[in-house]
Amino acid sequence: MTRKNNILLAATHLLAVKGFKETSMAELAKVAGVAQGTIFYHYKNKEELFLAILRSFQEDIVAEFSRHRQTQQFDCGLQMVADVIDFYLHMASQMEERFMLLHRHDAHELARSNADFHACLEAIYDCLIDIFEQAILLGQKDGSIGDCSPRRMAMIIFTMVDGLVRFHTYNLYDVGGLYEDVVRACEAMLKKNIP
Amino acid sequence: MSVITIFSGTFCNTEAVMKALVSDTGRKLMTDRDIVERAALLSGIAGSKIERVFSPRASVFNKFTHEKERSIAYLRLAMAKTLSEDNLVISGFSGQLIPREIHHVLHVCLIAELKFRVQRAIKALNVSESEAVKLIAGQEEARAAWIKALWGKADPWDAKLYDMVLPTDKKDVNALSATIVEHADSSVVRTSARSMKAVDDFMLAAQVEVELVHEGHQVGVSSKNGVVALTINKHVLMLNRLESDLKTIASKVPGVQKVETRVGPGFHQADIYRKQDFNMPSKILLVDDEREFVQTLSERLLMREMGSAIAYDGESALEVAREDEPDVMILDLKMPGIDGMEVLRRVKATQPQIEVIILTGHGSEADKETCMKLGAFAYLQKPVDVEELSATIKLANEKIQRSRASR
Repeated sequence: MTRKNNILLAATHLLAVKGFKETSMAELAKVAGVAQGTIFYHYKNKEELFLAILRSFQEDIVAEFSRHRQTQQFDCGLQMVADVIDFYLHMASQMEERFMLLHRHDAHELARSNADFHACLEAIYDCLIDIFEQAILLGQKDGSIGDCSPRRMAMIIFTMVDGLVRFHTYNLYDVGGLYEDVVRACEAMLKKNIP
Repeated sequence: MSVITIFSGTFCNTEAVMKALVSDTGRKLMTDRDIVERAALLSGIAGSKIERVFSPRASVFNKFTHEKERSIAYLRLAMAKTLSEDNLVISGFSGQLIPREIHHVLHVCLIAELKFRVQRAIKALNVSESEAVKLIAGQEEARAAWIKALWGKADPWDAKLYDMVLPTDKKDVNALSATIVEHADSSVVRTSARSMKAVDDFMLAAQVEVELVHEGHQVGVSSKNGVVALTINKHVLMLNRLESDLKTIASKVPGVQKVETRVGPGFHQADIYRKQDFNMPSKILLVDDEREFVQTLSERLLMREMGSAIAYDGESALEVAREDEPDVMILDLKMPGIDGMEVLRRVKATQPQIEVIILTGHGSEADKETCMKLGAFAYLQKPVDVEELSATIKLANEKIQRSRASR
């Protein structure tokens, strides 16, 4: 584990749990076990550090998904939708703190005034939604999914599945009880209606 | 040939001018009702619902239904189709939807001094002066909101918005009609290939807007020679996605050659919605027995987008306070009957949430002290600078917003 990695891990934890404004560089240095100067050596300021976390988050999502696709086989696109819902929830539990960070208001607020944050956050959402969109496009090609706008449908399914993650993060409900229903609801929405 | 639009204040004798105009020129008169009827036919939305866009109060559900945006889109389409006809007089709100690039449309504004209008309203409706003032203030608010929404200008009678602004209280009907006709017949305002092209662009933009609104999108649409420009005026994180969605929808409209998207100023404004709420014109009651002074004041406040009602004595002030609770009361101390101090005492005893600003020409230091003790928000001396007064009203408004938020 490099020092830089240590800093990123500690920062992810603090930003996710305490938030951007409440996290100080001094505290971060303490948790990461490095001198404050070391942090400033790698990152100009708190914003840059936050951006680095988000960028590596996006890279990891893309990497995870392509690894997943290589190992999985699907009969049809509709089946792939069910599979990617499962994959998304699995990924969210693997990267729990980073999803928590994503669900906070901080990054979105920074994105309003900072073009780098905007671009980075937009890229993250794009690749998250792309995961669903690819499955829908495949289903339309093989005829298992009916006529709909893949982009819009991907966003709707994303809000449902990502909502489940929030439900879990904030302990709103026992999500296990909802999972099957979400999958079935998505299938019902997408399935080609045979007259 | 040309088209004339007339936008006017109420009780400005506009109907007579329009009548003269139509009989002098044989032009066809189109009113808001005609345009709304056409929009209703095009959209299948009831005319009574479409009409609501002319009222400044949007339904609280509009955020979800987008009924207002849908109605305006269809009004634009109806207006664009109407412009295939020539030789028209278009009166009312809908004429303002026409882009200024269509140069064969002469935009006329008819307006008169408030005093003149109040007198006409009293005569026409047989109401009291204060009722007439209140009525006109409400109608004025609707016009101001419409112009603000379309052109971003606070003053609906701003001369920059029109080709000509004519005072109906200073000229007689025939002279007004003659002046309008003279300008409408001039070569600058004649239909040309260029202006007809602008009508085509208006039509194309309206068709695109209708399509977008149907899909739930709200963006500014303009068009030039088949190239459609879409302006996104609120902050969206997934901008690329939105832009490509908008482009897909817009490019399906026949006649669209190219679609460009850009972001407007609203995209960068961090808290545009909250800001709007804060600036909401509060309900202001002016209490003063000096009629001339208080009417001028009301007019000036209206120019600053603050609608106000007027009471000329203490009794009626208390009555308005009870029945139509104002947010802010601007109160003179010296009045016949129940004086200002007593009004202040009673209002603060029964409705402490009303903020009272004392505005007096006669008060002493002792009066000031008493008023502040009784709970007045501020104590100002006449003559007052309107800027200072409106700044004070703003402060009172902020206090009200804060206490409402914490409730």
